[in-house]
Amino acid sequence: MINLLGRRRFLEVAGIAALVASFDGATARAAATRLRLIYWGGQARAEKTGKASQLFSDRTGIAVQNEFLAWSDYWTKLATQIAGGNAPDIVQMDYRYIAEYASRQVILPLDEFIGQQLDLIGFDQDQIEGGKVGGKLYGISLGANSVANIVNTAVFEKAGITLPANGFTYAQLYEYAELFKQAKLPNGVRVISDASGHEQMLESWLRQRGKALYTADGQLGFDVDDAKEWFILWSKLREAGVCVTAEDNALATGQMESSMIVMGKAALQPDNSNLLIAYQALMQDRLALAPYPLISVDATGGQYRKPSMFFSIARSSRAKSEAAQLLSFFISDPEAAKVLGTERGIPCSEKVRTALVTTLTPLERAGLEYVSGLGKILGPIPPSPPTAAGEIYQSALTNISQQVAFGMEKPENAGEMFVQQATELLSRG
Amino acid sequence: MEIARNSDAIPLHRERARSKGPRWYSSPQAAGYIFLLPWGIGFLCLSLGPILWSLYLSFTDFDLLTAPEWIGTANYVRMFTADTKFMTSVKVTFVYVLFSVPLKLAFALVVAMVLNRGIRGLPLYRALFYLPSLLGASVAIAILWRQLFAGNGLVNQFLAQFGIQGPSWISNPNYSLWTLIILAVWQFGSPMIVFLAGLRQIPADVYEAAQIDGAGPWRQFARITVPLLTPVIFFNAVIQTIDAFKTFTPAFIISNGSGGPVNSLLFYTLYLYQEAFGYFRMGYASALAWVLLIIIALFTAFAFLTSRYWVHYDE
Repeated sequence: MINLLGRRRFLEVAGIAALVASFDGATARAAATRLRLIYWGGQARAEKTGKASQLFSDRTGIAVQNEFLAWSDYWTKLATQIAGGNAPDIVQMDYRYIAEYASRQVILPLDEFIGQQLDLIGFDQDQIEGGKVGGKLYGISLGANSVANIVNTAVFEKAGITLPANGFTYAQLYEYAELFKQAKLPNGVRVISDASGHEQMLESWLRQRGKALYTADGQLGFDVDDAKEWFILWSKLREAGVCVTAEDNALATGQMESSMIVMGKAALQPDNSNLLIAYQALMQDRLALAPYPLISVDATGGQYRKPSMFFSIARSSRAKSEAAQLLSFFISDPEAAKVLGTERGIPCSEKVRTALVTTLTPLERAGLEYVSGLGKILGPIPPSPPTAAGEIYQSALTNISQQVAFGMEKPENAGEMFVQQATELLSRG
Repeated sequence: MEIARNSDAIPLHRERARSKGPRWYSSPQAAGYIFLLPWGIGFLCLSLGPILWSLYLSFTDFDLLTAPEWIGTANYVRMFTADTKFMTSVKVTFVYVLFSVPLKLAFALVVAMVLNRGIRGLPLYRALFYLPSLLGASVAIAILWRQLFAGNGLVNQFLAQFGIQGPSWISNPNYSLWTLIILAVWQFGSPMIVFLAGLRQIPADVYEAAQIDGAGPWRQFARITVPLLTPVIFFNAVIQTIDAFKTFTPAFIISNGSGGPVNSLLFYTLYLYQEAFGYFRMGYASALAWVLLIIIALFTAFAFLTSRYWVHYDE
């Protein structure tokens, strides 16, 4: 990564030098045949995206310069580039931020390209809807995913547990813990990481109760009692030794490498379904997917299929139609699809999925089957969250859940604290 | 300036000045200013300009994506009346500064005095002890520290030899800040080098005279070493305090930018970084930066104002 950035920096400097040296008007035309693409992700994604970009260049003669960063660095870098008037042509977008970037006029509505450069025939309607803000299409979904528990099957096998195909309930977590103890598993591995500060787990739990994390008008979709019950639920799981200890859980600081499942502290890790491939790359034990826990066996609507990420085009791009061409290539070209696989989620185009079926690896197939087999626990996709959602998660929810876990705050009081802090952040904007 | 004035003596220069009258570029000062220009442009554009810009931004609401909007002193008002996270970060930083600086200086002085006794291989030891100072702010050391003080880290493996089951120091809010204070103390190298130079300046005959008068080692230390070393202590204290206030890297790496667990590693600079680059409140972050500047300036001014009562310069 450092090498890559170094080389890119060099290219930038060289590019400026070339620009200064050959200031004859031809540079404007030259710029149109070179696209800049920026995205977050790991090494595997970088390799796949780089290969697909190369395929595109070979076919069209349009060079694509790739730049990738980790999720936490990505948004800083992107905002800085935009503020400096140096935004890349194509930017990877998240469902969390697309409304904000669209409303600030940073990204371009893509409707004019549909049927022209952009081929959306046979593209899943719900994935098109997910990329719309105010009725206009601002992002093209690169794949569908859903939240999922990454399951360490080796641990479950040692404890003699077969996972129910259609998921498990919070109550069953206690049974698993009992079986874990009886099997005397090494290193005292627990059933699940402490997800009391996990935004998506909270959302799934709220949705099963008929509530939501946020309403359509960007307010909290739950009240103090819901939040209180949530923190009490996890305090009980913690006391019973079902989830990992506060000290262990605080070691997980966001990178996959420090997560509880990779560290061997927990057998279940709540995350997103497309990340199965990335987790498996870090672990020897065989991994599988399971839904988030249910509040009861007949609970519905906790999960939803969502666009795992989008490609959007910057308004400042001087090569918009070429950029749209690249988007279309990524989502609909069978050759590109074979290179990209399901690393960004399940492809949204019917014809791409058919083309892929024969070449999928077992892990990719598991992801595909998981997302298409969620059945009745699948609900409608919620509206995109308000701007403050990220801060409410990282600042308020994480911090309060840790205070409860370390015994510095009573779970009974945590609900009110959380609602109060979240409301304040929402009003601050 | 002295050199520039001397250049008047060069005959050719004087001749030209007489025949055509003074030109701006032929005046002796001009040469000096022209030579200063590369630094001057850099200072104006890369230092002073951004500093003044950030002062302006501190009175605005600015999210990088849309133009800054003037909101008067609202950022400063919020900081001191409504922002509990700000208060937490100030507290964390003050605890860190108040403990890490004295401990580090004391440790540096002790090691300097040991090295000053004229042991063999002094340059080697000096280099070895200085090494952590060079590495201290690096990412690698922060990661190493995380490994050392984790639940199954080296520290707890050592404690286990004595039957002690240590906590996960780095991820327990009661201890995490202390692991960073230890990290700071471990980087005692640069004040140690300065102390060592200071100790060398103290003439040996002063100690000899004290010995003849019957002063023991402790008395010699308290009455000779410390008073004669006060200018060096003063210098080290000011530099290390400023450095400690600006600590960022270890907290950022160890908590992955979150300042957790339970904001126990939420250093001032880390909070500033979160506001600026996590939540894109550049205006608020600029205001935070200016308040930090004022805090550091106050501490430094306090040190300088009180120095006349406790710092003894050689007559």
